[in-house]
Order: sequence, then structure tokens, then C-alpha cells
Amino acid sequence: MTDLFRSFVDILAVAAIPAVLLLFVGWAAFKKVKVYEVFVEGAKEGFTTAIRIIPYLVAMLVAIGIFRASGGLELLSALLAPVTSWIGMPPEALPMAMLRPLSGSGSLGLMTELMKVHGPDSLLGVMVSTMYGSSETTFYVLAVYFGSVGIRKTRHAVPVGLIADIAGMLAAVWIVNLLFHR
Amino acid sequence: MLNKIWIFLILAGVLIAAGNDIADEARNTYRNGIPLTAAIAVEHPPSVLTPTWQGEMSIPSALFAAFYGVPESGDVKETVTITTAPSGVSVMTIPVNESSPPQWKLMAQRSSSRDHLTATIDRIQWSGGASNGSVRFIVDPIRFVKLKAVTAAAIDWAAIAVNVVLGLVGVMALWLGLMRIAEEAGMLALLTRFLRPVTRFLFPDVPADHPAIAAIIMNTAANMLGLSNAATPLGLKAMEELNKLNPRAGTATNAMVTFLAINTGGFVIIPATAIAVRAAAGSVNPGIIIGTSIVGAGVATVAGIVASRLLQRLPMYRKEKEERHD
Repeated sequence: MTDLFRSFVDILAVAAIPAVLLLFVGWAAFKKVKVYEVFVEGAKEGFTTAIRIIPYLVAMLVAIGIFRASGGLELLSALLAPVTSWIGMPPEALPMAMLRPLSGSGSLGLMTELMKVHGPDSLLGVMVSTMYGSSETTFYVLAVYFGSVGIRKTRHAVPVGLIADIAGMLAAVWIVNLLFHR
Repeated sequence: MLNKIWIFLILAGVLIAAGNDIADEARNTYRNGIPLTAAIAVEHPPSVLTPTWQGEMSIPSALFAAFYGVPESGDVKETVTITTAPSGVSVMTIPVNESSPPQWKLMAQRSSSRDHLTATIDRIQWSGGASNGSVRFIVDPIRFVKLKAVTAAAIDWAAIAVNVVLGLVGVMALWLGLMRIAEEAGMLALLTRFLRPVTRFLFPDVPADHPAIAAIIMNTAANMLGLSNAATPLGLKAMEELNKLNPRAGTATNAMVTFLAINTGGFVIIPATAIAVRAAAGSVNPGIIIGTSIVGAGVATVAGIVASRLLQRLPMYRKEKEERHD
């Protein structure tokens, strides 16, 4: 059942972009749109949009990089561990929960490391990989998306992102404990 | 909020780094300046004419553990290279690899070298035909590990940020071009029609047939299929369109925050990266996390949407939306 579902989604993912290309260009040609000229006109904005993101992303990644290099996450983990082990999160999984919204490459590395040490099919292995799959790198998304349109006053975006992350992590801990705890 | 988080990350980062380094110094974690004695064995006894020679160094497990105050990890055996300078000072190079004790691996990683440690030799004594002896050495001091790491992180991540953005330029151009074609052909309006009840509910401030809605739908679809290369440019296109409806440049709108909540929830049908890592780590059933991830990300997305709808009404965020300056 899962295998069937998985191969169906895999096919969908492979076919999606070719299908969009075919549909967009085909439909536009049918509608007599000057496809090449319009494409180039739109693509021109790609460079300026990307370049606009640079200051925002530098600010974000440098601050997160400094915090991680200082050993701050280890300190926070030690402080929070009594609370999180009470809700069924192993202390080894706590740095993963904190790193996930901050750094994509960092949490990927941590997940790989934890699975090497504890085994991918252990409770911890299943839990950290579920955590990785349960969220996006919130601060990266914030910096890139808001940066591209020059938003500096983010209003409730950060609390909303963090609430989503915390909810996702807690749900991951809950469902994995429910299904895999022996 | 982002301001406060930024201040916290930088100040806490630097202060914690300094605190860790001071604690290391007070405990002398790396035993800087304290000599350690090891047994050494050579095939041919070195003479004055051979300034560089190799020998087998060994330290009993208990002695090593007691010296560094770490748990025992087996006897230490390394093939060391000893070089005597014309001035008479001898330097020993200790290779550090997989089989080295964890403490030395840590120290090598934290010194600038990575794959070896260097030590200054204090004294060598030979006994029994000059092929067995003992060597007393002081490993070169390792200091300010975290502060150096902070400096390196600041510089490295600044460069990484620019590389990430440059990597985006190509796909950005591709998708913005394709979206413009779709717009001209009137396809985006068609796309928005099917999901109108959902998008009306999620984005009440955005006209239902606005190009922003089409970009949001395509971004979400790409995210769900795990096509992150396409998702980011489409998401940025959506932000650009949402910003056209923004009465106050530089301040986020409710629709933008709801859109980001959906994005940071990270709802993916197949978490391909996590599955690939699991398979590489030798999992019996790498795909077992599909179901649990759908639950986790689903809860995150719903919580994000609900939070964005509730928090946008709070006085502090309402005020920021309405006040007008600049």
C-alpha cells in the first residue's frame, strides 16, 4: 500500500515539470503569445530578485552560524532537556528539534550522525528523520522570501513560524512514540 | 521580533563562545603545557646523523584516560615522526585518524591541523640496546577554540549566503519566464478557479483570481512534490505579487504571513531527503517515516495557519499594519 502510494507520488514528481513546460508553452503558443519574447522579458527579473536577497540572507546565516559555532545549542539543550524528556523526547533528539528551523545543512548533518550512532530503525533514528521531514528551515525561508520584496518589518511572521515548528516537532515526537515505542 | 532574535543570536553566540573558552582554560581541558610520557620503540636506533625518524609510540589506556580526565578508550598506539632541528629542539608529529583516541581526535579537529597533532619533545631516554625507550612530550597548546570557530563561521556563512543566492539566479530566471508566459496566455486565472474556496478562506485579502494566488498554488504543489528547485522561485514570484497589494512597503501583510506559515510547515508528501539518508544508513524500511512525517508536517502547517489568523488580530501586530510613516 505504502509502496504503491510512494511510486505514484514519485511518478507525479518526475512528470510535474515536463508537464508544466508542455502545458505552459503549448497553451501559450495556441493562444498566439510570442512565447520566446515573453519568456525572456519575465526571466530578466530573475537576477535582480536573487541579488536583492543577498543582504537578508547574509545577516541571517551569519547570525545562525555564529550561534552554532559558539556551542550555544549544546547549552540550550542542557537547559531544556529536563522539560523535553518529560514529554517523551530523548535528550539526543532535542538538538535536532532546535537546529531544524535554523539550518537545513546543519540538521541534515545532525540527522545523519545520529542515525549512524543509534541506527536508522531505532526509536531515535525514526524520530529524528520524522522531525527532519516535519518542517522546513523556517529562518531561511523568512530571510529569502521577505528579502526578495524588501520586507524588514515582519510583524507576526516569526512567532507564527516558531509556533508551526514547535507544533511539528511535538507532533513528530508524539506520533513516533505512539507507533514505535516498545 | 526578527530584530530581537538577531541580537540574541549574535550576542549570545559571542558570549557563550568566550565563556566556553574561559572554562576550557580554567579546567585546562587540553592539558596545555603539561608533559605526557609514552613508551617508544624503533627498529634502528636514531643517530645524530638522522634528523628525522619514525617510531612506534604507545601509552597505556589507563594512563591516557587519567591524564586527560576522560573515559578509557583502549591503549594508544601511533606511528610518530620525530624531527630534530639544528637548534636541538625535537618536534613530534602524531597522526590522528579513525583509530586514535577520541580526545586526540577532538583536539586535532579543534587545532588548526585536523589530521595530526604536533608536540615538542622534552626528553628521550633509551634503554635496552637503544631500540626501546621513553619519550616525554608536551602537545602544542590548543586555545580559544570557540572564539576561533565563531570568527570562521561569520566569514564562511557570509560567503555561503552569496553562493546560495547565485545558485538561485538560473532557476529564478527559468520560472519567472515560464510564469510570465502563463500569465500572458491567461493560464493563471484558469488555475486559480479550481481552488477558489480554499484560497478565499486562506487569503481573504487577496482577490481570488489575482496572479499571486496562482503562484501560491504552484509553489505549494511544488513543495508537496518535493521539487524545491521549482518551489523557491514560485514562492518568490508569489511574494512579489502579494507585495503589489501591499499598502505599506517594507512591512509584511497578513496574506504574506499566512503564505509563509504554509511554506515553513514544510508539507511534503514524500520526505525524499530523509528517506535517502535512512537508506544510506542501512535502514530495513527507509520509507517508514512517510506516514509520521505527514502527521508532523500536517500539524505544523495547520498550527501555522491558525496562529497566523489569531496573531494578526493582536493589538501589537495590528498597530504595525495601520500606522503610516516614512
